[in-house]
Amino acid sequence: MNNKSMKDRRLQVFEILRGAAAITLALAVATVFIFLCSDEPFTALKYLLIGPIVKDNGGFNTSSFYTILAAMIPTIFTGLATCVMFSAGQFNLASEGCVMAGGFVGALCGIYIHMNTGLHAVVCVVIAAALCGLIMLVPAILKVKLGASEMVMSLMMNYIIMYVVLHFLNNTFADRSKGSTQTYPFDETAKIPSLVPGGSKLTWGFVVALVFVVIVALFMYRTKWGYTIRMIGINKAFSEYSGMNVGGVIVLSQIIGGVLAGMGGSIEVLGRFNTFLWKELPGYGWAGVTIAILAKNNPIFVPFAAFFIAYLNKGCMLMSTHSDVPSEMIDIIQAAIFLFFAAEQFLAGYRQKLVVRSAQADLAKTETAEGGKA
Amino acid sequence: MPQSEYVVQMKGINKVYPNGIAANRGVDFNVRRGEIHALMGENGAGKSTLMKMLFGLEQPTSGEIIVNGETVNLTSPTVAISKGIGMVHQHFMLVPSLTVAENIVLGMAPKKGGLFMDMESAVKLTEEYAEKYNLHVDPKAKVMDIPVGMKQKVEILKALVRGAKILILDEPTAVLTTQETAELFRELINLKEQGYTIIFISHKLNEIKQITDRLTIMRAGKSMGVYETASITKEEISRLMVGRDVILTVEKEKAQPTDTVLSVKDLEYTNEWNKKMLDKVSFSVRKGEILGIAGVEGNGQRELVDMLFNLNRPDAGSVKVNGKDIVGVSQRNIRSLGVSLIPEDRMTYGIAATASIEENLISDRVGAKRFNKGPLFDMKAIHKECDDLIRDFKVLCKSGQQKVGMLSGGNIQKVVVAREFSCDPVLIIADQPTRGIDVGATEFIRKKLVELSRAGAAVLLVSADLNEVMELSDSLIVMCGGKIAAYFEDTAMLTDEIMGEYMLGLKRQSDEEIGRVCHE
Repeated sequence: MNNKSMKDRRLQVFEILRGAAAITLALAVATVFIFLCSDEPFTALKYLLIGPIVKDNGGFNTSSFYTILAAMIPTIFTGLATCVMFSAGQFNLASEGCVMAGGFVGALCGIYIHMNTGLHAVVCVVIAAALCGLIMLVPAILKVKLGASEMVMSLMMNYIIMYVVLHFLNNTFADRSKGSTQTYPFDETAKIPSLVPGGSKLTWGFVVALVFVVIVALFMYRTKWGYTIRMIGINKAFSEYSGMNVGGVIVLSQIIGGVLAGMGGSIEVLGRFNTFLWKELPGYGWAGVTIAILAKNNPIFVPFAAFFIAYLNKGCMLMSTHSDVPSEMIDIIQAAIFLFFAAEQFLAGYRQKLVVRSAQADLAKTETAEGGKA
Repeated sequence: MPQSEYVVQMKGINKVYPNGIAANRGVDFNVRRGEIHALMGENGAGKSTLMKMLFGLEQPTSGEIIVNGETVNLTSPTVAISKGIGMVHQHFMLVPSLTVAENIVLGMAPKKGGLFMDMESAVKLTEEYAEKYNLHVDPKAKVMDIPVGMKQKVEILKALVRGAKILILDEPTAVLTTQETAELFRELINLKEQGYTIIFISHKLNEIKQITDRLTIMRAGKSMGVYETASITKEEISRLMVGRDVILTVEKEKAQPTDTVLSVKDLEYTNEWNKKMLDKVSFSVRKGEILGIAGVEGNGQRELVDMLFNLNRPDAGSVKVNGKDIVGVSQRNIRSLGVSLIPEDRMTYGIAATASIEENLISDRVGAKRFNKGPLFDMKAIHKECDDLIRDFKVLCKSGQQKVGMLSGGNIQKVVVAREFSCDPVLIIADQPTRGIDVGATEFIRKKLVELSRAGAAVLLVSADLNEVMELSDSLIVMCGGKIAAYFEDTAMLTDEIMGEYMLGLKRQSDEEIGRVCHE
């Protein structure tokens, strides 16, 4: 047993080092770019790396830190959603669209349903989440029944969802008294309250997000459904042969993904704004994919990955405000990180393939050795 | 015999795969110029490995390859082709959406203006070669539209156009109809007359007798000798191919079979290449007995097992377990009837390689009450059952949390067997249960199979290993060409010779004799 825990720990350390190496390499690449395109590279680097949490006078920047945590709320949800779907081998990218749909429906419930404080917000989020779960039935069922690629379906659906939302926003629910396109403000009762005093955007949604990290982690690693999702992702033929309900669980994984993304969208809108005003896809779904990959589909790592992305976003923003490095830099840095992580994943996949191939060669060739020994 | 007579000489070839499997052991293989030379042996005898080395797909661990009197180092197929060696694979390597001519000139296409492919000269080249070698193809047809026989001709032309003088044909007739086979043979003889050398991999005795000049027989990675085709009988070939070096004995009490558990009736299946893989197969397995299915691989055993676990659907016929039809029934329901399967392809069906041993052990029983406390797993119960299984089935591992893919082949199979044997099965289907695994694990699995059958399970054992199937089975059927060729109620009196004759299709019992395997 001692031996086992030691081995596990060594493996974990190895994994963490691998991730750290990817991030370090990515930041090194970013540094090279900053030195290439900036006249004041050290200022730029300072704002990128420590700017988000350190004030100019050297103190800890609490409000900036809260902003970073607040930015994690929707991406934790989309990250979790993506973890669940990717674990089942379902490369469904519709959490992007579900965030928008969830936000919109959540806001509408906040406007047109009237309830008590506390209950109202919960009802808004639940309705939004349920609707997004239903939306995910489309790619899921088409996948199971017709074998249509869920990736293509979900990607295309994002735009369908966006334009449907915009259609209703523009033509049915718009507040004509406002200069820009937005809905009427939702009831105060639907608003998700702030977690810290002082008008911060860090709401109770953050706590809910962390609770869901635990719930999803338990679901994935401590229930038969999560187990089945993971086994299907690893080997579908094996799962079928073992008697698992493969089709049903593939659908289930995507419904869960939709529910989580819808929660993220509605909590974000009800926490951050007074009205629904997104006019394009907010991008949290894409961030969720990055986060799931950084977290290696393990829900427990999602908050860390989400923090990293939020921190980096904030740093890049500061860097572009305070130095001459353009904010597009963040795209390059993110791309670099993505690349290094993907490359690392690719290597892991390759290693696995080698193992399988040698084992198959083993299968095909060893009757020879067998016959000889017998 | 003067050296120059040989166009290919392979001397003392050893091939050990990285995982320690010796596929070839000291094989000598010589081919004369202008002959059709058969390379024979059961699947896994090492003939494909040997030919892969001659075509540069694999490199020998030790040994020498001499082509046209010159020692060569065949590091890739490109090198092999430059030495005049061409190979026609069993599974065609053609681009279906391109035309015949395009496929033939692929990678060496004549260019027009240095940029665009010159279709006309490609077609002309194809027609020229087709005429010259009497291999008639339609150069402008798309490969996906042409019949299998023509695809094979395209493959042969591909090799010839690239300057091959030595052609390796890997089981060329496996996918062909009788007429196509006859046509292929005419073409091969034509090629031989034009001075080409042909190496013909097969285990079909009739074909070998029909067109080859000499033959080399391989068994268990070794060469069993070279023979003039005319001077060896089919019976001798079959004995050399399938005989046993050492006879294994398993101690077991006499079976006391009772009720029929599995009953298969008139199962028929034609595969996607329109080949009849199962032809009116009927048999039954009773409680307390081990029924073996022997046969050279590819004679319908795999298809049969697939039908028994709904991994494929038969065209006609029924499969009943304790009276319940299981054709088209989900694996979950088949399992709930008490059927368990040790799959032949353990890496695809048997395990999820990157999951832990524990996760692999519980895959068929995650829903069980004892493992679930409310919505959550009872991890203690799972650990306990898995640790017990690991101990009982002697799986060598550090802990149940280890990834199953990191284990050796034998231990992976023990994990599969531990799961399949521990679910109180009434019927165990064991498909090549000990293939490719070490002696210790093999013995262990065989013992367990006997134990379970004596405790009242019905066991269907499918194995290409004669030793295994003859010693473990209480009674035995032989499959050949998708049919049951023989049924032996008692395996004690059987000899390798008798088995070989039925396995290779030299003999077949009468329908009455075979019919005795159905107990009702």
